[in-house]
Amino acid sequence: MSQILALPSVQLAFAALLLGSIGLPIVGVFIVGLDIMPVRFAMMHVALLGIAIGLLVGLDPLLCALVLCALTGGALTPLARSSTGLSGAMGLLMTLAIAAALLVLSISGVNANGAFELLWGSILATRPWDVAALGVLAVLVPSLYFWRRRDLALLLHDRELAQCSGVAVERLTLVLLVVIALAIASAIRLTGALLVDALTLLPALAARRVGRSLPSMIGWSVVFGLLFNVGGFVLALLLDFPPGPTLVLVGGLCTLLLHLKGVKR
Amino acid sequence: MTTLKLSSVSCRHGGLSAVNDVDLELSPGEHLAVTGTNGSGKSTLLRAILGLHRDVTGLIEVYGAAARTRADWRRRCADVAWIPQRQAAGQFPLLVRELLDSGRDGRAARRAADELGVGDLLDRPLSTLSGGQLQRAYLARALGQVAAGARLLLADEPTAALDFAGQEQVAEVLAALPVAVMVVTHDRVVAAACGRVAEMAAGRMREVR
Repeated sequence: MSQILALPSVQLAFAALLLGSIGLPIVGVFIVGLDIMPVRFAMMHVALLGIAIGLLVGLDPLLCALVLCALTGGALTPLARSSTGLSGAMGLLMTLAIAAALLVLSISGVNANGAFELLWGSILATRPWDVAALGVLAVLVPSLYFWRRRDLALLLHDRELAQCSGVAVERLTLVLLVVIALAIASAIRLTGALLVDALTLLPALAARRVGRSLPSMIGWSVVFGLLFNVGGFVLALLLDFPPGPTLVLVGGLCTLLLHLKGVKR
Repeated sequence: MTTLKLSSVSCRHGGLSAVNDVDLELSPGEHLAVTGTNGSGKSTLLRAILGLHRDVTGLIEVYGAAARTRADWRRRCADVAWIPQRQAAGQFPLLVRELLDSGRDGRAARRAADELGVGDLLDRPLSTLSGGQLQRAYLARALGQVAAGARLLLADEPTAALDFAGQEQVAEVLAALPVAVMVVTHDRVVAAACGRVAEMAAGRMREVR
């Protein structure tokens, strides 16, 4: 085990998971609170389009995914006035994004395998740049929470109550959507686009079972994020399983157990 | 100066007209009860004043100021206290304490919560309250807003979930408020405590007392 832990790729993966466990679960709390779960799924497709564009123009694919996701997140703000407004549009966005990604990959003549590997992710292929992006999120997201926690608590509880309490609802929603989009694009490398929920939503859903308020949900989500990610990764190393699916299953099963146990809020 | 002035205000829900050409003036300290059948446009009119309903024509002024810019709406939020019809219990946890603090004068809101019998629920999530407790908590928040300087209280069926004693208590609290009050209600006790009564039917308002 100690030999495995001495490998640079494993150390980078650990660093990414630890940093990701701070920012990403809080983003999951935002997603759950805004009731915009379809958005993160659409963002995975948009990220794939960004990766395809990156491969076409020869820029860093993940950087392109980050920028495209951030722009898309900002553009979605007017639709976020109601969750129904978003869910319909997300179907359209997903379809358009994946079709455009396939088209870009086709006309660029690049090897599409590189792009679609990101559907599954490879945590052991984490680069220093990915760790840096997660590090920025680990500072940015908790800072946003501490800076605007009263407004966030109101907005996530009820949009109209927040608006009548003087919260700049549109602006805060814009910031949240951009942060959510950036977080999803940053997390794709770790577990893949299909399993990115493990890092964001699972800790948030588990935290919702035990948290009685926004501050306690935020705290619990980070604790669960650390437990799921580090626990899952260590288990994968011990059993020589693929890390991505293993840590997702650990997180998923723990969340399921919490729900079955019926912990009262 | 008039607290609230509505000039030819109309609201639509998609293709349907919900409020039709309503004119109204409310002076400082004046209390108006708005009655009428379900779907007659009462709640929509209150929501339009708060900016929660967007499809609005006509002029809505609070203390002579219409709201056009973001700063105007921020001022409107400070000027107007609100008790919503369907208080959000929320899928997402919010403590009673946080609700009360959102009304800008948390201390006054907590005092009001004590008087209304929900002062011991500060650390309870709203989702765990009964309908009556939730309504009292929102009333306490509104009283905190008034203490913080709100000059108009809009209340949408504030006694709907209360027992008889609660209805009387809320009617007394509203009647004692020194600010202008516009209350949508089906409760005769609340309506009787107001100096003016208007009835809405098919989106039109008619003053009956």
